[in-house]
Amino acid sequence: MRIVVGIKWVPNTQAVRFDPETGTLIRRGVPSIVNPHDLPAIELSLRLRDEVGGEVIAISMAPPPAVKGLELALGMGVDRAILITDRVYAGADTLATSYVLAKAIEKISSDIGRVDLVVFGQETIDSSTAHIPAQVASWLELPYVYYVKEARPAGDGRLRVVRELEDYIEEYELDLPAVIGVAMRALKPRPVSLSMKIRARLEKRLIVWSNNDLKLDPRCVGLKGSPTIVAKTIDMPEVPRRKEVFKAKDPREAARWLVAKMLEDEKLRELLVKTLWGGGK
Amino acid sequence: MSPKVECEKLCPEWPCEQPEEFRNVWVVVEASEDGLSEASLQMLTPGRRIADKLGEKLVGVLIGYRVSHLASEVIKYGADEVIVVDSEQLKTYYPRVYALTVVELARKYKPSVILIAGTRRGREFAPYIANTLKAGITADCTDFDVDESSKDVLLIRPPFAAILLAYIKTPFRRPQIGTARPNVFPVPPRDDSRKGEVIYESIQVPEEKRMRLLSRSKVAKLEVGVEKAEVIVSGGRGLGGPEGFKLLASLAGLLGGTVGASRKAVDAGWISEDRQVGQTGKAVKPILYIAVGISGAAQHMIGVREAGRIIAINIDPEAPIFSQADYSVVGDYREVIPALIEELESLRKRGPQAINEYIEWLKVVEGSRGKAETKPT
Repeated sequence: MRIVVGIKWVPNTQAVRFDPETGTLIRRGVPSIVNPHDLPAIELSLRLRDEVGGEVIAISMAPPPAVKGLELALGMGVDRAILITDRVYAGADTLATSYVLAKAIEKISSDIGRVDLVVFGQETIDSSTAHIPAQVASWLELPYVYYVKEARPAGDGRLRVVRELEDYIEEYELDLPAVIGVAMRALKPRPVSLSMKIRARLEKRLIVWSNNDLKLDPRCVGLKGSPTIVAKTIDMPEVPRRKEVFKAKDPREAARWLVAKMLEDEKLRELLVKTLWGGGK
Repeated sequence: MSPKVECEKLCPEWPCEQPEEFRNVWVVVEASEDGLSEASLQMLTPGRRIADKLGEKLVGVLIGYRVSHLASEVIKYGADEVIVVDSEQLKTYYPRVYALTVVELARKYKPSVILIAGTRRGREFAPYIANTLKAGITADCTDFDVDESSKDVLLIRPPFAAILLAYIKTPFRRPQIGTARPNVFPVPPRDDSRKGEVIYESIQVPEEKRMRLLSRSKVAKLEVGVEKAEVIVSGGRGLGGPEGFKLLASLAGLLGGTVGASRKAVDAGWISEDRQVGQTGKAVKPILYIAVGISGAAQHMIGVREAGRIIAINIDPEAPIFSQADYSVVGDYREVIPALIEELESLRKRGPQAINEYIEWLKVVEGSRGKAETKPT
């Protein structure tokens, strides 16, 4: 089975801090990481390969520093990695990104061998759209399913997956090739092996494709190929809150203060009266 | 109006269409054996607002099997018109069949806007619709507006882990597609007297031949989901372990509420995923949200923006939650929560006449030590 797993090199949003002086975001110097929700997707791909043989190819459309993320995937045991990078791809929204990824997957199928399964993480931590798997499926006209927790080969070019919706657990059988989005806590990812990482580097298993390789119409990629544009961004407006903080050495005093505050507060008094004594006494 | 689209400048894979060919605001309404999806009805709220600003109709697109009788309901919740596709083909949900049904309708009617609830299914089939139409899509919108001069819809969403708010527009493409997470918008008020046209469409799309549903089983649901709770006592990494949630559950029980959690507590395996509040969890709107051992990361706080009041209990005096809560206590929850339970129990026993004592006490305390410290913003 030839599996392509898509990964994204994202700013570590957890590391973003506010400037206490100005109250604004410090966006510079935020380290990048492999999108954490992609790791279960890599793990699921590796397990499938280990079970039935074949190879896992990690792909990422990103500027050159994303090589680090692909090296990490190689260190987890991915067989090869392709960085798809070109200035004309910059500024892409999800439609333009999915177009490049879909075309890269087609190129893998024609140059390397038929891709049987395309795997993505549930969503990314920086933009959380969860668009890409469905969009890639749309360009390639493949069946697809999201929120996959388990996947196992069902013989004869088929894959069985279990996925979880809000209220239902469903099991599907997909004819390959297909696209799946893996649920964010589906599997615990294996650690990165330094020796595997080094071996992959020595064997030059990471290659770079630019638009010279993919030869896509510049009108279909990057900013030009993106129907959506960001008109502006602002810092998330603050919700007005009372911000009263009580520091007490005695927890009973703190508890008394909280209860008093709740009783003083019209919104909460009504709630307390209702829950403690019932009705609207 | 939007500028005229020059076809030769467009990606040749896209159909060339002019924005002014498109009219009306659609809300895709999902329905199941349990009736209309509440999350879909919620989308009628922003849909109504956009339609009014554009001076266009709000149209519900009801798709499913044996759902025709629900069309009048969609009108009562605010749609001017409903397009129904009631087809055996839609009896079993397959993402591509659902998506292509909407695609075919959109090709016929050319709506300017399509709103879709960001349920798990909605998040799955919406991008397929957008891509097949080569239209723009914006996920997880928290608000919408209309640009007065161009009539472009502004789709407002929090990218970058909810730290920013981005205003997205799609000036050259229609329809403009947006999704929003459940509970971000309220269900519009129901008006029994509302009347509107119902159009029945019999659209057949290619069957899903490459995917089969093998089994489907209902997951055991929470007694009161966090989405509906009036009080949520939520725990984060600061709880230090799963046993802390027992304490939270006692407090929640006393207040007639339920237990929630931050992503970190769920990641740690201390509590089930369906209780997770925040960007990757659920948006909630309780009257009271009590955050215990939760630091206050933007990704969490985006889920509680609509909470009436927030109480924070955290041992770390530097925790960012303190500047995002109404009433906070710096302290160890293992001590503060049992004391709070005891205090509430004692108040209950003493009855409503004790309320004034607390108010008087508060005056004395605040008189002697000043009002509780207020953190600078």
